[in-house]
Amino acid sequence: MVRRIVHARVGSHPAAEDLVQETLTRVLAASPTIEPGMLEPYAIVTARNVVASMWRDVDRKHRNQHRVVDLSTPDPPETQVLLDEEQSAMATALARLTERERRTLLDHEVKGTDTRTLAAREGSTAGAVAAQLNRTRARLRVEYLLAAAQIDPPTEQCRAVLMALSSGDKRRQREVHAAQHLLECEPCAGLSQPLLERGQPRDDRLTIPVTTDPDIVTARGAARELASRLAFGPTDLTVIATAVSEVCRNIVRFAGTGEVVVNLLEVPRRGIQIVARDGGPGIPDVERALDDGFSTYGGLGLGLPGVRRLMDEFAIASEPGHGTTVTMTKWEKADHE
Amino acid sequence: MRQGSTLIASIHTALDDSELVRFEHDLVKQIGEHRSRGVIIDVAALDVIDSFAALTLRRIADMARLRGALTVLVGIQPEVAFAMVRLGMGTGQIPTALDLEEGVQLLAEVAATRNFPSSGSQPQKRT
Repeated sequence: MVRRIVHARVGSHPAAEDLVQETLTRVLAASPTIEPGMLEPYAIVTARNVVASMWRDVDRKHRNQHRVVDLSTPDPPETQVLLDEEQSAMATALARLTERERRTLLDHEVKGTDTRTLAAREGSTAGAVAAQLNRTRARLRVEYLLAAAQIDPPTEQCRAVLMALSSGDKRRQREVHAAQHLLECEPCAGLSQPLLERGQPRDDRLTIPVTTDPDIVTARGAARELASRLAFGPTDLTVIATAVSEVCRNIVRFAGTGEVVVNLLEVPRRGIQIVARDGGPGIPDVERALDDGFSTYGGLGLGLPGVRRLMDEFAIASEPGHGTTVTMTKWEKADHE
Repeated sequence: MRQGSTLIASIHTALDDSELVRFEHDLVKQIGEHRSRGVIIDVAALDVIDSFAALTLRRIADMARLRGALTVLVGIQPEVAFAMVRLGMGTGQIPTALDLEEGVQLLAEVAATRNFPSSGSQPQKRT
């Protein structure tokens, strides 16, 4: 009976069998609380919910995925396989939510029950329910990504970091040192991409991972490329590329792994901001590192102080054991070049 | 790279640090192999000379000097020169020239004052 309902809605969709199973699981889980005669209607409603939530989640997934995957030339068999995988991942993700979270979310999203009604049922307030819904959605995104990639997070911190990113909670992200963790944890770095891109699409921003020598050349080339969209003259472009080269070298030499984020700024003025972040040992004495001629490896000792001279704004934050972040800005100058 | 008693090394694309180090080793080795008296390094194709690149060039020049060859750096782009000065670094004691032609001339002048035999100082092209 359940199979008939599901098939009526999704046709011969490959996920149909999964959905049937999902529905039956839920009905069985709920059966102790259902009156004997009500089992059938309950199953029908549950099946509808499962199907509806699948479409909704697939739809959400698509909205989030289009920036990562190029859908302009879809390949039919591949697309079908992808859809298939997406649905089983979503089913897994839904299953990982608690029963209460799942019910509240589905009631709200599928049946359209408003937060006030839900609050009354849960003995809570509408605001609290809304907040809980947001948390549930964030959690669902994380669990979905984990299930889709078939990854078990390697550390306890992973879920916390991914949750903070998913909910877009900047304060929480700082608390769990999210940016730091992403540099140290490869699975999370991969998984976090769609979460980070959930906001507005940005073409004025570029993140370049930096681990080896060739990355330095890539990063400075990319920074120059992005900067050339503004009215920088050839001298400033070279200055920017040189500064990026220096900070990237520090990442490769001292930290081994890090990233450079290049950002075009519109306010307060047009300019380019470069943030170089690493998860390295940190700089014990930042003041000395900024002294001309101070070098720990027999270099010229010009890297950081030189970069400070090249750029208009320069800030460095470093904590031993927690890496170093260099933030620097070059403003576009309208009056010369 | 081309050679005569003058070794001419052109850097054609942006080099990363390990490539620069390899370039350094190759060049110093070749100075010995070809018994070069002069080395011209053409960096016209480099869009960035950062502290590491500058340090490497200086090291090459120092090593070449110890091997009896004078190094001239040619072709530094104006923007690169600006960035280098702002970064606070120069090329140390390495003599520089605007382009390859001037570099060859500079080496010839130095060779004349040192009273080196000038025969064979014309670079032969090897593509």
